[in-house]
Amino acid sequence: MAHSNFDRRRVNGPEESFLPVFAPEESSDKWKLGQPRSNRGLSDIRPIFLQPGLISQANGSAYIETEQTKIACAIYGPRQSKNTAYSENGRLNVEVKFAPFSCRRRRAPLRDAEDRTIAMAIHQAIVSSVRLELLPKSTIDVFITVIEADGIESAIASASVAVSTALADAGIEILGLVVSCSASIVGKEIWLDPNEDEIASSQGTIILSCIPALGTVTSVWQNGRMSSTEAADAMEACQDRCTDIHGIVAQALREYSGQ
Amino acid sequence: MSLLLPGQPIPIPRGPAPQLGVGTYSRDNQVRSSILGIPKFEGTTLSVPRVRPHPPSPNSVVLGTVTRLSPVQALISISIVDGVPLPAGEEFTGVIRTQDVRATEKDRVKIGDCFRGGDVVRGLVISLGDARSYFITTARNDLGVIFATSEAGATLEPVSWQEMRCPKTGKIEKRKCAKPEGL
Amino acid sequence: MAAAAAVLSTSPAPSASVSNAPEQGSDTLKAAIFQRLHPRVYLERFLAEDVRPDGRALGTGIEGGEGVWRDVSINVGSISTADGSALVRMGGTTIVCGVKAEIAEPDLERPDEGFLVPNVDLPAMCHPKFKPGPPSDEAQVLSERLFETLISSNFIKPQSLIIHPGRAAWTLYVDATCINYDGNVFDATLLAMITALMNTKLPKATYNEDTNQTTCYHQPKTLLTTNGLPLSISFGIFDSTRVLADPTAFEEPLLDSTISIVVGEREGRSAGSGSGDVELLSVVQQGLGAVSGARQDSADDVLSACISAGKKRRLELARIVREAVGADSVEV
Repeated sequence: MAHSNFDRRRVNGPEESFLPVFAPEESSDKWKLGQPRSNRGLSDIRPIFLQPGLISQANGSAYIETEQTKIACAIYGPRQSKNTAYSENGRLNVEVKFAPFSCRRRRAPLRDAEDRTIAMAIHQAIVSSVRLELLPKSTIDVFITVIEADGIESAIASASVAVSTALADAGIEILGLVVSCSASIVGKEIWLDPNEDEIASSQGTIILSCIPALGTVTSVWQNGRMSSTEAADAMEACQDRCTDIHGIVAQALREYSGQ
Repeated sequence: MSLLLPGQPIPIPRGPAPQLGVGTYSRDNQVRSSILGIPKFEGTTLSVPRVRPHPPSPNSVVLGTVTRLSPVQALISISIVDGVPLPAGEEFTGVIRTQDVRATEKDRVKIGDCFRGGDVVRGLVISLGDARSYFITTARNDLGVIFATSEAGATLEPVSWQEMRCPKTGKIEKRKCAKPEGL
Repeated sequence: MAAAAAVLSTSPAPSASVSNAPEQGSDTLKAAIFQRLHPRVYLERFLAEDVRPDGRALGTGIEGGEGVWRDVSINVGSISTADGSALVRMGGTTIVCGVKAEIAEPDLERPDEGFLVPNVDLPAMCHPKFKPGPPSDEAQVLSERLFETLISSNFIKPQSLIIHPGRAAWTLYVDATCINYDGNVFDATLLAMITALMNTKLPKATYNEDTNQTTCYHQPKTLLTTNGLPLSISFGIFDSTRVLADPTAFEEPLLDSTISIVVGEREGRSAGSGSGDVELLSVVQQGLGAVSGARQDSADDVLSACISAGKKRRLELARIVREAVGADSVEV
């Protein structure tokens, strides 16, 4: 069978299929570039719902939802590192999977390069907070499933928050909770926690991850064009908002612990 | 004391500085919690303990099942570390070498006379071992086989530190037994 | 408020055990150690007391038995990137399913039919036994069974997916992902797929023969035409005679066999009509049969008890499905 994406391990559909093409609509009240931000203020983020411990089979877990962004995260281990040389320090392994229905275009269930890039970004945000020196020969597996995404940058930020919450749930020793916030430069303005449409019309984006308890930044991930002043301003706006996000994580963990 | 979040400073009472136990660390002269939990003083040691599955470390007491025997060692699949069960499928691999089976007559140990496949063994981790296994000793009265099935399929009963009896057939089988608890 | 919309948290929030002393529930810990070392004996001791480790009763539940099933909750339509979606929780087992509709050219041999493409993913996230990488054997077998069940039950008639014969037809990708694997994943996944399909709306589509193109319109969108509402009900058989309905991930590896009953409704009857129109679509037994000559309940009796209990349970599940689907959409 000359089937380009035929996979004998799955139920296969037709050789090719296409997204429906819609007739242009007359009056679209959709947001367009150049218009002011709809629905929320520039430095507002979408409301966060965070629930630790939903995945009973895992050692620790968390589910995060910010309107149309929905992400589940599970921690397994520390497990004995397999097929690796003896190491004094533990390893942190981050894997990201997008559900096929999580984006506007269906993501065929073959791992693509974007999953790796996103896993790396989350790994970078988290790894310096984990006390890996206490876990020789061991690996902590972090598995993330994106159930729905509305903007990749905000998905990375939300996933990082979920991972840190799940690590706390798993009782793995960390220096502090990592929280993360994204921003985009739209025109001359800084918009926090941009959604997919807003990212598409921005010049550049930035994701800042930090440990508010220690006043330490763990990762900055910048893409696109922005002046260094804009970058600095965006980072500061993100950092301010991270304090609020830390409060949300703290409250979720306290409630979950029955306190 | 109340629940602490990871990264949260731990209030230290006046007096000599405490020793830092699990779940705590110090940075820039500030003691902080590294897990979600309630801090606790035991003597002069401050810790934020939490009952969670964790990897074996030297001096951990482990329970595991014998998975493979060779003339020089017994391979153990560790399923319980310091009294906390690991999730199914999350076992660590340990090894009991002939010299670590018992305290006396170490050079006359025959692995086949001490363990059998499927036995449940209580051991003490002596070192992190090599890339593959943790090194475990059973050279103590309270360490060794704690559960075994006889050739006839019954649960063996310990009769001495190196023998067990099948309640069905009365046959004696050789094991390095752990002294039963409460004796 | 986001909390109200939170998709995954349809059941009471779990709570952590952060209490720090090992003396906290040292009995619980002892039980957990025993369960870990001797899982079979652990289960046997519970069953000897006529109760399962999670507190449920034994048996098929046909004897008016309450408490042999785990709670089922369904949340539909919360994934905006899917054309239809459902989240199912069956006890601890959590499955999320999304339907994506795309357009394809029909198969040459079946010019009047569209495509239904169901797949289930058991990612490393849902249980420690799964590792990252291509689908496990279990996921492959499960996807194949789901495909068989959906096709043979004729739940979605492939002819109903045609836009223009030989030229354009809908392809429905029905993808389910397991978030938490706590047993009886087949029943939960079929339930999620069926509900997601009932939640799926397709846009109006027209095929233009001159341009060879299909154009869609945002309005009106219509629900799929579905038939028979097939649902699966599974029972585990332990020690030849003990029936464990809706088994958990702890019980499953200890079972001699599993019996799955797929039950639908006869076509041509209206959805809400009574209880008498159920139709047995398939009975699958995997593993050793429930044979025990010494006992009163012979193999046939166990199987027929499971079938009767399955039919009864299906009514309850169908009610939950219709309630969930109806709550999301006024057209139903």
